Amino acid sequence: METSRPVVVKRVPERLDLKQARKFVREVRPFLRADRPQIVLDLSPVKQIDSAGVDMLLHCMGEAMKRDGDVKLASLSPQAAVILELTRADRLFEIYENSTDAARSYSGFLPNALRMQQQLSEQTPPGQLAA
Amino acid sequence: MDVKAIVLVGPGAAEGSAREQVAGVPIPLLDVLGRPLLHRVVDRLRRSVDEIAVIVEGGEGDAETFARLITSTAALPGVKATVMPAGGDMWRAAEEAFSDFAQNGAEVVVAIRLGPYAELDYDHLVQFHLDRGARVTAAVHEESEFGVFAISASRRNDAAYLFRHRFLECREPCTQYPFAGYFNQLAGAADLRALTRDGLLQMNTLRPVGKEIKPGVWAGEGARIDRGARVLTPAFIGARSRVRTAAVLTRCSSVEHHAEVDCGTVVEDSSVLPFSYVGAGLDLAHAVVGFRRLVSLRRNTEVEFSDPTLIAMSSVHAPVRALASAASLATFLPKHILLGFFGKSRREKPADLPAAVRAPAAHNLPALENGADDGSAKFPSNLAVARRYGNE
Repeated sequence: METSRPVVVKRVPERLDLKQARKFVREVRPFLRADRPQIVLDLSPVKQIDSAGVDMLLHCMGEAMKRDGDVKLASLSPQAAVILELTRADRLFEIYENSTDAARSYSGFLPNALRMQQQLSEQTPPGQLAA
Repeated sequence: MDVKAIVLVGPGAAEGSAREQVAGVPIPLLDVLGRPLLHRVVDRLRRSVDEIAVIVEGGEGDAETFARLITSTAALPGVKATVMPAGGDMWRAAEEAFSDFAQNGAEVVVAIRLGPYAELDYDHLVQFHLDRGARVTAAVHEESEFGVFAISASRRNDAAYLFRHRFLECREPCTQYPFAGYFNQLAGAADLRALTRDGLLQMNTLRPVGKEIKPGVWAGEGARIDRGARVLTPAFIGARSRVRTAAVLTRCSSVEHHAEVDCGTVVEDSSVLPFSYVGAGLDLAHAVVGFRRLVSLRRNTEVEFSDPTLIAMSSVHAPVRALASAASLATFLPKHILLGFFGKSRREKPADLPAAVRAPAAHNLPALENGADDGSAKFPSNLAVARRYGNE
């Protein structure tokens, strides 16, 4: 079974207020409307985020989940992390340290990925694995 | 014995030293369990000193307004207070205050920079200074000075040198007064939290200002705790503050005067500073909130809020607060009437239930083999039946 669905990594703007959030949703909407969308939002540039920004993140996740997809967050700036914790939104998202990890997590349980992991483990000497 | 004191509140002098501010306000100006730390130090000094001068190098904007409120004559009666904006020369003002005291016949001047908080016995310090016949005596905690000096008023040059070097250097080696009592560096928000926690756990002499409404919970005058709010001990709710329904206060949290915690918000191991508003349904943990900012102790980050639904601040002036609440009251009813007429209902109509739900499969099941459908015998005869009464 081959998987070819792309993972979209999108960088969130520095300031996420109502105006910016609306603009951002317009940009992301085509990806959200795909079949089983796989989206990673990179929050590293975020300096300021308000309730409209959190609402936008939840909206994106809701839209993605309607189509059996998911939205994951990566590289949270300290400000974004604080706001997500404050609003309890951090419990709803899968959060990763960087976009690469978040993108890789989408293929974690797919046969291709499993095959690659097997190949990697075969190439790696057993002593190194144990360490 | 004529003893006078100069209390300085402002940034530390050492390069790279901690800012000693939370949300842009010097920590000694902030309330700890219902009373600003500066007032508590002044109260302690009043027992040993005849006259006190307070010099504050406050922040900007709200912080400066707050500094002026804290040091007003009504708040600190009998104390000569000077507030200067950030970047003002606090040390020169201190030098001038020292000269004034010396001219007016003071014998010893106690100079304090807050800064660090130490529960010092100033009588003992002055006595120690006099017994040793010292020019300048520095209080020392764990072999380092922390900004408390007793200076003989006749030694103006020593005092001038000390002030000009911002308490970092003495003209001649000064006498050291060892101090081993309660000490808090007050370098940042984490230290402020520790001080509040220690006060609630009675590990220092800071007592909550208010009535102990149940063991371990203190409430200031006019504090409102709505029915349904949970306050877990120990906790402090300041004067005229409000904890709304379904909010939870836990793990040594404090809500200072005129603050508000809205419905459903959990405040855990946090301090809500005066005049702050914490929005509904939030999870405030290990943080200090105030002046539209939140300092997260876990992440060591300060975040500024522009969204009043999350964190906001009411005015420090009572008439402005009264006007704001009157305005919100006046607009509440018309707003909700209009919303009732023209607002879009958010209630979603229930979707059509699937056929399987509307006609449960159980209804279509055939009757049990040996049970007639008349309802008389419901259990098959080969099944064990639990007796209605245990001992029969």
